[in-house]
Amino acid sequence: RVVPAGMEPGQGALAPAGEQQGMMEDGKVHSASGLFAYLEMLEAQAHEAAVKQEEIEQQEEKLAMLKKKVQELRLQRDELRAKVDLQGKGQLGKEGVMSEPAQPSSQAVLEWKIKSVKAMLQIFYLTGISGKLTKRGVCFCISTAYEGTYLDSYYLDLLIKPEVQIYRHSIPVFIPLEQIAKKYLQTDIRRFLSVLSDHLNAYVGRRFQADRLQEQFPEQIEGPLQRNSLCNLLVFKYYVSSKSKTFSLTARLLYGDLCHSLPTEAIVSCTPDAPASLAETAAAHSDLFRRMALHKAFRSFSTAPES
Amino acid sequence: MDDSTLQAYEDEIQSLEEEIKLLAEKYEDSQQESIFFSDEEILMAMKSSQGNFEGQSEGRESLSDLKAQLESLEMDLSFLMKFTGIQFTSHSKNTVERTTNRTVQKHRLSGHCYSLSFQLEFQLLEVQNKENVSAVVTDLGIILESGEDSDVSKFVSSTEEHGNLLTFFRSLLSYAEWYEHRRCTFLHFK
Repeated sequence: RVVPAGMEPGQGALAPAGEQQGMMEDGKVHSASGLFAYLEMLEAQAHEAAVKQEEIEQQEEKLAMLKKKVQELRLQRDELRAKVDLQGKGQLGKEGVMSEPAQPSSQAVLEWKIKSVKAMLQIFYLTGISGKLTKRGVCFCISTAYEGTYLDSYYLDLLIKPEVQIYRHSIPVFIPLEQIAKKYLQTDIRRFLSVLSDHLNAYVGRRFQADRLQEQFPEQIEGPLQRNSLCNLLVFKYYVSSKSKTFSLTARLLYGDLCHSLPTEAIVSCTPDAPASLAETAAAHSDLFRRMALHKAFRSFSTAPES
Repeated sequence: MDDSTLQAYEDEIQSLEEEIKLLAEKYEDSQQESIFFSDEEILMAMKSSQGNFEGQSEGRESLSDLKAQLESLEMDLSFLMKFTGIQFTSHSKNTVERTTNRTVQKHRLSGHCYSLSFQLEFQLLEVQNKENVSAVVTDLGIILESGEDSDVSKFVSSTEEHGNLLTFFRSLLSYAEWYEHRRCTFLHFK
């Protein structure tokens, strides 16, 4: 180490308090290295300050940009609001937008018609059978619903040459598609779709009822609701209260007709120690389950006065 | 202090963008539902070559693209009407409510199936969920020709009560076929 002449320990003029404590600790000051370290520290401080300054500037820039964007969007929103208000007041006649010339452009006319035809095609979705022509055939869409609620839709991509065949589909495996296709696809496509639609709608209807039951009466159902994928076999335990005592009943519903969403068989049984009146309730429930949608049946005996 | 201002701006931007989207949709709906072009006007537009050589307005498709799109859609529609036997003669809809997740539209529909005509009115509620859009039909009103038949009126009122639009259409076809068959038989014996 080279110590510059004249710099004796303790005599370093460049020994400010505080940050230089490390240098003074052992009483020895290698002033040159101390000076170097001090300069390094100043440089680091200056660098940090510069970085901070840049951050602040970037932040301010970003803030200014956002402020500008907010103002632009506000303007856009106000213009649209004014347009919509004018529409409400009936200021716009047959020609459409006020700013457009009296004669609408062919573009505007066609755009209107396209939207109109698309709306009509959407209506077909509500009828249960809709679809689109494809290069090699037709892609049908079978929609399902339970009362007013539309549920899943299923696709069937058909080829028509050399004979009608199913190219692709999204029908679940437990629906007897092949059986139905074998019977009707070649001879009567409408009948084929109609029968398939019956199966799908019934399946979706059964599933819907089981889901509503679990959702609307969770405290009344004891344990899990057992069902198969086709939802044509349902087994569950449920509580009924009679004379302020709670009893457990077991229901086994079999939906023998796959095109229907009501069970063909409903066995409701009680535990051997149950009172005789409970057997009557079980019989009444069995009858109810066969006539009425499952969740509606529960609703009817949940609100009825308990015997 | 900077962070909260930043956040406030970003929140406002998001809410403004949503509002703008909603207003634009409302505007489009009203436009679509309040104007009407006759078939002749559509035909003229299809024959027109206006705009083919000029620069297109920003964001709008070229006239030839629109013509092709319309032709394809009309082919699909005409196929469906022939195939299902359900011919719609008029359709009008009115957007009653539109928020970020919900749309309620009132529909008026008329048409016929074989010789049986019908008129329908219903409200369609569409709700945007995470994965899909759910649709529910309410306030269903049905006027079906030959509604004097008591079985038919029972069917119609039960369908109306439960909003069973799908069932109505599925049953309509078989009933219309049977009705047509009966009509022809009666004519034959006159």
